[in-house]
Amino acid sequence: MDFCKEFNARTAHIEPGVPTPTLITVEPDRTFSFITKTPPTTYLLKKTAGIEKGTGRPGHEVTGTISLKHVYEVAKIKAKDAHLKHLKLESIASTVVGTAKSLGLQVVP
Amino acid sequence: MSFLALSRSSIRQAFSPCLARGYAAKSSNTERVPNVSVKDTSAAEEKTLSSCPPGTILEGLNYLKGQPPVIALPDDEYPPWLWDLMKPKVYEDDGPGGKAEKKRLRRENQQRIKDQNFMKTQ
Repeated sequence: MDFCKEFNARTAHIEPGVPTPTLITVEPDRTFSFITKTPPTTYLLKKTAGIEKGTGRPGHEVTGTISLKHVYEVAKIKAKDAHLKHLKLESIASTVVGTAKSLGLQVVP
Repeated sequence: MSFLALSRSSIRQAFSPCLARGYAAKSSNTERVPNVSVKDTSAAEEKTLSSCPPGTILEGLNYLKGQPPVIALPDDEYPPWLWDLMKPKVYEDDGPGGKAEKKRLRRENQQRIKDQNFMKTQ
């Protein structure tokens, strides 16, 4: 119950329905702490491209097309994460391109 | 029949040098015009780096409550490394034992293993 209240309080600024990865750490004396992260890259890419699911055969099937500007904006969102703070935005953008490839999205300049 | 064939061939032989002269004159005129139009189109193409024109709404990226929609900016306002993201990464040659050679050898080894594995399935 405590967790639910605290989680709702911390994620009140996010639109309902957006998946929010959370890392919960529970100590032996039942006290807990948790960290919320930015939505998954696949979720953001699927919403931008307007597709429901990625391909079952990446590299062989193409589900949609995405521009480098979309990739830049997604990378900007992901850069807000604590575990990606030390990376250059260029590196984060190349990981987003890799995720788009695995979904079957074609990246076009 | 044979007389007609002979006459046709003689007519062709008579006309072919005239036709050759005519074509030469035409080609010199047509060469000038496309040069001017090619310069214009290449200058126009160099300006737009992106297929996404500025002002397009990038949907799905405003996941916070009350966030205005994310709009694409003009091409100059994006960092220059963005346009080289899709190009294959070039490693400068450090000489033998350098990073470039290691990457090249690793890629060749991986491709050789894949080829061998494929041949085993045949």
